[in-house]
Amino acid sequence: MLDKSRLSAVAELIRDHISLDSLDRYCAETGVCRQDFVVIDPSEFEGEIFAVDGSNVAVCSWSVANLNLIRAGYAVYRGRDWRRTVITYDDIFLADPRICAEQFDPYLEQIFGLKGIDLKESDLERLSTYFRELQEYIALDDATGEARPGDLILYDGSFDVFEPLRGALLTVFERAKEKDVALLAISKSSTLPWGEEISLPFVQHTSYAGSLMAPGVPWYLCLKDKKVDHGQGRWEGETYIVRFDGRSDHAFRVDAPSYLEDRIGSVLERLAAYSCSSECLGYPHALFRAHRDIRITDQEGGFLRLKLMEMLEEMGLGQSQVRILMQDFHDVLEMRPGI
Amino acid sequence: MKVAMDQEESQTRARASLADRKVIEKGDTTYRIVSKSVTEYHFIVPFDLSDEERVEVGQIFSIRDRGLTFLARVLDIQHSSNYDGHWDTAMKGTQFFDRDQIFNRVIAEPLGCVSKDGGFRKSRVLPTKFAPVARAEQAEFKFLKQVMGDIEIGSLRNGSRLVEEIPVALHSNAMDHHMGVFATTGMGKSNFMKVFAASCMRLACMGRSRFGLLIVDPHGEYLKGNGLVKGLTHLKRYREGLACYSTDQKNASDPGVEELAVSASEVRPEDIALLYEWSPPQRDALDAISRIFNSNHWLEEIQGTEGLDRMVLDGFKENTVKVLVRRIKNVLERNKYIQKRSSLANILANLQSGKVVLVDIPRMSDRSELFLLSVISRHILEEYKKEEQQERKNCLITIEEAQRVLGAGSNTSRFETIAREGRKFGVGLCAITQQPKLIDKQLLSQFNTLVVMGLGDRNDRMQLEESAKQDLSSLDIEIQTLEKGEAIISTLDIPFPVPARIHRYEDYLRRLDKEEKEEGLVSRGGFKPFLE
Ligand SMILES: Nc1ncnc2c1ncn2[C@@H]1O[C@H](COP(=O)(O)OP(=O)(O)OP(=O)(O)O)[C@@H](O)[C@H]1O
Ligand SMILES: [Mg+2]
Repeated sequence: MLDKSRLSAVAELIRDHISLDSLDRYCAETGVCRQDFVVIDPSEFEGEIFAVDGSNVAVCSWSVANLNLIRAGYAVYRGRDWRRTVITYDDIFLADPRICAEQFDPYLEQIFGLKGIDLKESDLERLSTYFRELQEYIALDDATGEARPGDLILYDGSFDVFEPLRGALLTVFERAKEKDVALLAISKSSTLPWGEEISLPFVQHTSYAGSLMAPGVPWYLCLKDKKVDHGQGRWEGETYIVRFDGRSDHAFRVDAPSYLEDRIGSVLERLAAYSCSSECLGYPHALFRAHRDIRITDQEGGFLRLKLMEMLEEMGLGQSQVRILMQDFHDVLEMRPGI
Repeated sequence: MKVAMDQEESQTRARASLADRKVIEKGDTTYRIVSKSVTEYHFIVPFDLSDEERVEVGQIFSIRDRGLTFLARVLDIQHSSNYDGHWDTAMKGTQFFDRDQIFNRVIAEPLGCVSKDGGFRKSRVLPTKFAPVARAEQAEFKFLKQVMGDIEIGSLRNGSRLVEEIPVALHSNAMDHHMGVFATTGMGKSNFMKVFAASCMRLACMGRSRFGLLIVDPHGEYLKGNGLVKGLTHLKRYREGLACYSTDQKNASDPGVEELAVSASEVRPEDIALLYEWSPPQRDALDAISRIFNSNHWLEEIQGTEGLDRMVLDGFKENTVKVLVRRIKNVLERNKYIQKRSSLANILANLQSGKVVLVDIPRMSDRSELFLLSVISRHILEEYKKEEQQERKNCLITIEEAQRVLGAGSNTSRFETIAREGRKFGVGLCAITQQPKLIDKQLLSQFNTLVVMGLGDRNDRMQLEESAKQDLSSLDIEIQTLEKGEAIISTLDIPFPVPARIHRYEDYLRRLDKEEKEEGLVSRGGFKPFLE
């Protein structure tokens, strides 16, 4: 039974701690002050913007292993003009801890010159996420290969990544630096916390603080020396909070490799000039398009699942066997038709 | 079961997947079949096409799909996009970046497909998804040349663009199955009839005519036209194919125009019946005439006192008979062409030899026109019912404002008879009307050739769509938007309703006058209208 008093206790907690009525505590505990909000002056540029994204849906699972459909790639823009979308990976992935390494290793070796991966400890759900991330780094690398000096490459996510794959990302950083291409990771949702007693959402509160301290304009804030755990030292770069358009309420976590540190302002100026589309005001438009072009729909997943079952039956497996193997018992409980 | 791939296998797969990148570029999505079924095709086009490239209802597109070329006609165009919800009314600012995500969806109806050997048939298959779509060009319409007839009336039209190289021509042998010409006033019915008649005159002169065409013209517009608008006599080159009769003294004095005469003996009580509203006793008296009098002399006899006595003797009231007689005298007074002499035999001979016969009756009243048409038509039908003589051509009788005589509940069974059984004897009707909704549905369904021009009234269109032999219902929007001179031609020998632009008569005239005598127009094709 839902206890109303417990719910009202949570409501009080939100009122007292999470909603921010005065910036004093926020500033004191995080070390952020008015001067830290740097105004961005959007400036158009001639080069291209590449936006990398990936997508992953579970096709079916038999508890000890599961099958996923994974897609990765990037959208390319020149100014406001969409040029093309490149799909670098679009295939199934069988997540089984015992044989998984064999699917990672060839990519790690051939593309990033890295030796094998250790995944023994990982749980199933993670495996497919890692593989999707690996494919996203490959897309990043592919985009780097296509980019010209001065171009911008955006990644949907953070650069504070899973340890075994950090090596791959470092290689991409090196290649991008060499080519003089700017690399940025932009997170739609970020778990950055602040506060000493309970976990408070840092990005949201910074966004609020920004609307008061730098209202109506785009700005960025560097987290260097701020009292926020954003994986400092775990990867070679710096984290920023950015509002790309003054008319938007949203701010995003942006990660940049250290080679961009001294010119992050001009990179963000360029990006802000292309984060003002009607489709998705305040968010880099190329990422919006990449998300839409690369996402896998539920129908696609369902279609593949049906196709797989068809094949199994053609191979002589009886309906009941297929059901035992593939039906998720949750579907039974929910009375979903399933198979 | 071996789930694992060995090392080498996964190496190869990885390499293959790296090489296997897919690039989606601009223009990959527009002008390709995206859905939907055998009976309806959808494709998308940019939403901001230039005037030149804009898609219109009625336009024909071709879909190249391996060995087949599908043809489809645009039924409707809709705003559409890849976004859900009310994105277009909840916009922030006006800076859309992805103009390719917003588009127009074109809904088209399949006409059929052309196979490699050039043959055309209705399609039972669906074009492959993403098959490319393009505006149909002359080459894709070539097959139409083979199914066209011998009476050229215009050029193929693709939307509002002319495909001059493909002439549209009706089939002579379909004419005894009746033709209907439908258009709101001023949309070009008379112009069409003149073009049609000109082509018939031409065929007659070349000895290729298959039927005689009778036109009774109460408006005096066909003979000599009016100012810039030309008449049939202006077609000098094929003047031989035309026989003219006129009730107008001035017109009849022209060489090559005969003064119209109908002999009193050729008039029947039924013809008189058309001219007035009759009370039941009057009607009975009228019906009795052919029983009481000699059919060749009744008109004369009934006017005398002896005639009156015979009617009264038969039980009719004197007053009733007097009204009858007064009306008959009236008719004779007004229709001066009723004489001893008669042109009918001559008219019939011309029709039977396949000429165009124009009966010019300017300034004649509505009812008088019907009366005359009735006399002539009956004569024709009686002649054609007789044993077929050698070399006799069929006959097509034109009726203007046909709703007067083919309407539901009209009392003119003569024309209905022709519509129902004229075919057996080689007599067809060409019904012209602005109001097809007033024509009897069953009669309308006997018409195998329909020339449909702009019709604004929904009920008119419904009536046609419900009784046409070919399915016209999907063309509703197009028929509604047809411009002057534009038509949809539906006839059985041509596999789908063909969009056409009827030649402007004056342009057609000049071209016919210039052409080499023996050169086949239809086979030569390609008619460039002269610019004024
Ligand atoms: N195919 C055509 N091309 C160019 N002009 C045309 C065409 N058809 C008709 N017109 C012009 O449209 C005008 C009206 O045409 P027309 O007299 O044939 O119409 P209608 O339907 O017979 O009208 P009404 O109901 O008054 O008899 C004329 O001036 C004619 O020149
Ligand atoms: Mg007219």
